Amino acid sequence: MDHLPHVSNQRNSQPQTQISHLALDIGGSLIKLVYFCRCDYSCRDSDGDELRSQNDSLCSKSVNRQPVLEGRLHFAKFETSKINDCLDFLGSMELHLGGFHDCNAPLSDKMFIKATGGGAFKFADLFKEKLGLNLDKEDEMECLVTGANFLLKAVHQEAFTYLDGWKEFVQIDPNDLYPYLLVNIGSGVSMIKVDGDGKFERVSGTSLGGGTFWGLGRLSTNCKNFDELLELSHQGNNRVIDMLVGDIYGGTDYEKISYLNALRFGLKRILFAGFFIQGHAYTMDTISVAVNFWSKGEAKAMFLRHEGFLGALGAFMSYEKQCLDGLTVYKMQQKFPIGASSAGDKIYCSRNCNSDENGSIECTLYGT
Amino acid sequence: MDHLAHVSNLRSSQSQTQISHLALDIGGSLIKLVYFCRYDDSCRDDGDELRSQNDSLCSKSDNNQPVLEGRLHFAKFETSKINDCLDFLRSMKLCLGGSHDGTAPPSDKIFIKATGGGAYKFADLFKEKLGVSLDKEDEMECLVTGANFLLKAVHQEAFTYLDGQKEFVQIDPNDLYPYLLVNIGSGVSMIKVDGDGKFERVSGTSLGGGTFWGLGRLLTKCKNFDELLELSHQGNNRIVDMLVGDIYGGTDYAKIGLSSTTIASSFGKAISDSKELEDYQPEDVSRSLLRMISNNIGQISYLNALRFGLKRIFFAGFFIRGHAYTMDTISVAVNFWSKGEAKAMFLRHEGFLGALGAFMSYEKQCLDGLMVHKMQQKFPISASSAGDNIYCSLSSNSDENGSIECTVYGT
Repeated sequence: MDHLPHVSNQRNSQPQTQISHLALDIGGSLIKLVYFCRCDYSCRDSDGDELRSQNDSLCSKSVNRQPVLEGRLHFAKFETSKINDCLDFLGSMELHLGGFHDCNAPLSDKMFIKATGGGAFKFADLFKEKLGLNLDKEDEMECLVTGANFLLKAVHQEAFTYLDGWKEFVQIDPNDLYPYLLVNIGSGVSMIKVDGDGKFERVSGTSLGGGTFWGLGRLSTNCKNFDELLELSHQGNNRVIDMLVGDIYGGTDYEKISYLNALRFGLKRILFAGFFIQGHAYTMDTISVAVNFWSKGEAKAMFLRHEGFLGALGAFMSYEKQCLDGLTVYKMQQKFPIGASSAGDKIYCSRNCNSDENGSIECTLYGT
Repeated sequence: MDHLAHVSNLRSSQSQTQISHLALDIGGSLIKLVYFCRYDDSCRDDGDELRSQNDSLCSKSDNNQPVLEGRLHFAKFETSKINDCLDFLRSMKLCLGGSHDGTAPPSDKIFIKATGGGAYKFADLFKEKLGVSLDKEDEMECLVTGANFLLKAVHQEAFTYLDGQKEFVQIDPNDLYPYLLVNIGSGVSMIKVDGDGKFERVSGTSLGGGTFWGLGRLLTKCKNFDELLELSHQGNNRIVDMLVGDIYGGTDYAKIGLSSTTIASSFGKAISDSKELEDYQPEDVSRSLLRMISNNIGQISYLNALRFGLKRIFFAGFFIRGHAYTMDTISVAVNFWSKGEAKAMFLRHEGFLGALGAFMSYEKQCLDGLMVHKMQQKFPISASSAGDNIYCSLSSNSDENGSIECTVYGT
């Protein structure tokens, strides 16, 4: 395979992280990255953790004689205001993009990475200038939905409910997944009715989002960054934060607007995504209790482990659509025998229990 | 009638303002008063004298009912300054005896109608300082009663506000129900009104006037609500809010119908660590806050109107105060979300619904079958004066609190 010769060349070089696929979601406040590292290398992710090597698994072929890449999906995030940190991060990695393509081809005008979010437009020139990368723009709503559907169907222990302090994982029957309401809480909030793969409609939204919490929180406290603010809110003894969390952000109106929209369309499941929930117990609890209450138990609030990476994942999966000279079609395939079928379009991935803090996902990429 | 007798007793007393009826709505932030002044006395109200009418006091209606002609007055105080309110009440000669025997009542017989949480919270204080018992009426019921009264009986009460244009709406009483009443006080209540006394509180939000005022005070050092509102006039919310264009590099997100100037995230720009609170103009902060609260209320109101198929949404409460930007934001939000199907409307006596409703609940009082009051039409808006129809006109020379000329009937 094209990729192999390149691998041989690199064996002698320093073990840098090799990224063969990368996608970005550049939002108003945060840049989210998803990237795939092959296992044949000792991939050092940003924490310096080594992933296990596998010999020659790279060259393995599936039953259909498809080239197979085994490795891990990694996740990372940066503040949009510190985009240069992100550019440095990417610059420090070996980007072997284009997957199964001939890597010796001149790169700059063929090197593209999938990107979604407003920043895919706003920073297109910057990426070109600093990294020589073209951003291949994908629609934000579509990516959110694709990412959500993927996580819900393919990743073990991804979705969970949260009630009375209890976290309970939910495995959803892929045949019973649709329709549902996806509420993505980013800088702002989008509410999307999802009816199927690629079938969705953004039905509502609100400007009271994570950016509001972060912005107001910053103005009214001395917190220097978002994580510090969240930390303060976890402690629950700051009256301003309590007010912000409880009133603006702690579910009082999210659950109302979400529930009202779910009710409007007869949706039983409301999936909350985006970075601003961040496993915040009070928020999840408030949202869950309220959704349960307003719907008299009919509707359920659910949360996702990879809550902030839906867009980036969706953008990543859109490489699947790319069929460059008929050479490269990627499928993410089941790693563990969760379901026996490995045929066709079914996509499964397992979560490895020793995931890094960003919850990397072990998976296999197929090329044709 | 007892009322008349009581009035006669007072004729010879000092010419102090005689209030026949008074009702209170004691909320989280504001205390609202409604009181009725008869014409036969020179009611002093900020020095304005109302015209006297001779013996109109003793006039009788066709049914030989005693008739009191006068005006309904309105006043408000901050709940945190409740003593000012108590002083005010003390300084006016309270004809609190409207509902009982005309002879000098023992203090435990004097009561006034009161609604709102403060009717409970401050009951003891009123007893202690004024010797008055508060007769508690349900807040939601009072809001609805007050709203129905204003909408049916007062001329030029409800209006729409779009593109800077204020347009009064006269509603056919036969076509009034159902509607959504959104009362924006410290917090917000949303009530589906199906008829007289028929209603259900269907929703609410804790992001109300209190939030605007509380957050505004923390962030701008404004001394009061009006100051904060005033500031917002000059503000530019784009300094503080993150717009779609800010995220998308100046363009619209046309695919989902969001223009580049749509607010994507309220206060989203304030996440920038290149600026501290001091670096923001208080007027910009105030305007963003106002926009945020108003938009949110508009959206949730619309969703509830949609849920119940309601075409009209009346916004009440003291949050609005005839403030153009607020009304515009709410109207635009309702209009936008409903694609023009639903209409946002406002009320001139927006903050006094509860107090009016409490006032009207004296009507329910039927002490020994003696006192039932009806408010009767003063001007010929509609010919009928029979039965339960209640009409009042708004006199064009109303004082700043929009006093209402009306007639109170006793039986």
